[in-house]
Amino acid sequence: MLAMPDIPQSTPRPAATVLDEASLQRLRELDPQGTNRVVERVLRTFEGSLQRLLAQAAQATLTGDAESARHAAHTLKSSSASVGALALSRCCGEIETQLRTQPVAALHGLLDELQDEGQRVLRAVRDQLPD
Amino acid sequence: MSNARPTPDDPTAKPPEVLLVDDDEVNLLLTAAALRERGFNITESNSGEQALQLLADWSPDVIVLDAMMPGLDGFATCQRLRTMHGYENVPVLMLTGLDDDASITRAYQAGATDFFVKANQWSLLAGRLQYLLRASRTRLELERSQARLARAQDLARMGSFDWRRAGPQGSGGTLLLSSQGLRVLGHGIGDPVTVRSILRQVKRSERASVMRLLQSVMLHSSVLATDVPVFLGDGRNRIIHVEAEPEFNEHGHGIGYTGIVQDVTDRRVAEDRIRHLANYDSLTGLPNRRHLVWRMERAIDHARRLGHPCAFLMIDLDRFKLINDTLGHAAGDELLMEVAQRLRACVRHSEQVMENSLEAVGSRAHRSLEAVGRLGGDEFIALLPEISDERDAQRVADRILEVMRAPVLVGGQECFVTASVGIAIFPRDGNSVADLMRNSDVAMFSVKSGGKDASALYSPQLAGRGREKLELESALHKAIERDELVLHYQPMVDVRSARMVGAEALMRWQRGNALVPPGDFIPLAEESGLIVPLSEWALREAARQARIWKNSFGFDDAISVNLPSRVFERGQLVDQLHRNALQYGIPHRMVRLEITETGLMKELQSVIPSLLQLKDINVDVAIDDFGTGYSSLAYLTTLPISELKIDRSFVRDLGVTPQSSGIVTAIIAVARSLNLRVIGEGVETLRQMEVLHRLGCSLMQGFLFSRPIPPDDLELWLQNTVLPRRAPWIGQAAELELGTLPVRAAGSRAY
Repeated sequence: MLAMPDIPQSTPRPAATVLDEASLQRLRELDPQGTNRVVERVLRTFEGSLQRLLAQAAQATLTGDAESARHAAHTLKSSSASVGALALSRCCGEIETQLRTQPVAALHGLLDELQDEGQRVLRAVRDQLPD
Repeated sequence: MSNARPTPDDPTAKPPEVLLVDDDEVNLLLTAAALRERGFNITESNSGEQALQLLADWSPDVIVLDAMMPGLDGFATCQRLRTMHGYENVPVLMLTGLDDDASITRAYQAGATDFFVKANQWSLLAGRLQYLLRASRTRLELERSQARLARAQDLARMGSFDWRRAGPQGSGGTLLLSSQGLRVLGHGIGDPVTVRSILRQVKRSERASVMRLLQSVMLHSSVLATDVPVFLGDGRNRIIHVEAEPEFNEHGHGIGYTGIVQDVTDRRVAEDRIRHLANYDSLTGLPNRRHLVWRMERAIDHARRLGHPCAFLMIDLDRFKLINDTLGHAAGDELLMEVAQRLRACVRHSEQVMENSLEAVGSRAHRSLEAVGRLGGDEFIALLPEISDERDAQRVADRILEVMRAPVLVGGQECFVTASVGIAIFPRDGNSVADLMRNSDVAMFSVKSGGKDASALYSPQLAGRGREKLELESALHKAIERDELVLHYQPMVDVRSARMVGAEALMRWQRGNALVPPGDFIPLAEESGLIVPLSEWALREAARQARIWKNSFGFDDAISVNLPSRVFERGQLVDQLHRNALQYGIPHRMVRLEITETGLMKELQSVIPSLLQLKDINVDVAIDDFGTGYSSLAYLTTLPISELKIDRSFVRDLGVTPQSSGIVTAIIAVARSLNLRVIGEGVETLRQMEVLHRLGCSLMQGFLFSRPIPPDDLELWLQNTVLPRRAPWIGQAAELELGTLPVRAAGSRAY
């Protein structure tokens, strides 16, 4: 298991609680025989997307770009739900809703939580992927 | 786990093509995988811009758009694609967030077909897509079917209409016409059209009856189906077929009509044309047999109901065949057309029968049945649907005879044609068309046999005679098979030598116990065409007899057989003579052919080839009844004939009128100059014999020497009369020869 050296560790949780097993099971059902390696492809895509969007959200937090932050949150909301990262999805949904009425600066707590949870999910996803 | 196909009702159908647009790669991948798993063909796109590019040259069955995307979002993309040609009605499903009412509204405003809240419930999404596809297919089919209907209506010049009865105070009601319906009536889309305005388009003469029909139909809420002649705005006259069914409300009250209007002018024109072809003679334009029979049936019905007589006049041209044969068929046709014109003027000829009013008792409409028609060939019929008595019919017949007598100019030549008219009157002469036609025919035939150019009323006695003739004809048919025909022979003699120089074969019909003379059946045989087989039989029989006589008494002359010119025209004649000669082992010259001068001259051109062939095979041809026709001497010199027979009428008058001897002298001179044999026919007295002989004709035939007798009797005649020189003419003949040798010497030629 690879840890990202530049990202601080937060409260460690087992992958099983980070990624909802039922959601993962639904993913597997999309490709029951595994012939298309759908789960692997989804998780790899999600891994890339998550990295990119976490970076985008961090950037938006710094610059106060509400639209960029909202887009990142919106996109992550549904894709994280798809892979079973339910806590992350809930967090994104909250950010998206609040951003309709509040500036980025008012959401620092949530945005930090997004980064923390995002890192946990990233690790959990990598755990699921073959090397 | 779902393996359900999007189109379970049709497993062979192609999987539906879905364009999936989402900027989130994860979602795109997942949704695509989920939908593929459910049988959809997915094309992925991660932006609105890319999606629009794809759509430029590829059309999916359904488009799924994520609402929120950077750049061109789902709403903008949807709006854009709706303006693209061909994408006006493609189903678009917008993926929105949960509880995002604003997005839902925007989605519809942008032209999306439906929305779907983003979730991982793939079965729901697939179900929604299937529903959209089904709705889209239904819509497409409906559009196609509407287009087809419009096209079909256009092709059929048909349109639909819907008419709603007016409320209690309104008038005219509301009329809705489809665009095709407007076109049928000559209007453009948007033209104000009402029942009233359409009625004004109806031909004036028909308007009242159309209104009456409409009122009656509406009163009874019955089905409307009628053809109406209308004027279109541009002045064209068209026939519009209107067909409509009543509509009822829940209380069963008629609330209006729905139906179609159709321009049936072309069909009507074609129908009229067909009807005309089927019912009228193409040459003369007169009603043909079929149509006449139809008119006659109606005339009889009507006459029966009203108790008045009606008349059929059978009209047959005299000498038409002659004109057709001599001037050609084109001239014959020209003549028939002229005759048709004249006949038409003799009655109140009506082209159109007013069928509808025929049924009305007491109406005069049956008079429109009056007409002249052509039955075929040179046979016409005039129908007089109402006469007061036979004199009416006779007057029309007289008029017909009169107009026919005027010369007809045909092919630049004046021709004279007369007609024979037979009249049959209902109910006196028959109760059915068939009876009346037959009886008018019988009456017409009686005119023909009585000298033509006249009319006759039918009478039962005529029918009797007609029947007799018919029976005779059918009996004659069987006479050949039954061996009822015999040849009798009349010897020809050379009075100088008192020798028989040949015999003429004359046909007799042994019918039961009676011997029917040729005058009673030869004309009938000629008329019916039986003369051909009769002649063939006679030629064979003569050849057979020649053989018998050759054996029994060394006969070496010729038996003459009379042939009508039409047998000469037949190419088979020479073949037959060959066959006969071969079969009976006699030389061809032993059967000689006689053709009457009149027959020869009438068919000269067609007979000459036969004459030439006959000469080639040494068959002699004699011209019978010579002097009665009008032979040109120029012809005689070129004809390959060998004998002239002086007509009995000249011989009969010999020694009685000076002219007759003059004619006979002339004929003998002609024969001599052309090196032809000449024979006097019908010699009955010694005086005639003496004069003929003196004028230079020693070959004779007649009762003075012998009647026509059966072949065995002829042998007896030779033995008992000629050989013993026991006839008065023999002594006389010897004296005439003034000391020449006796007529016969014993030996091979013992007759």
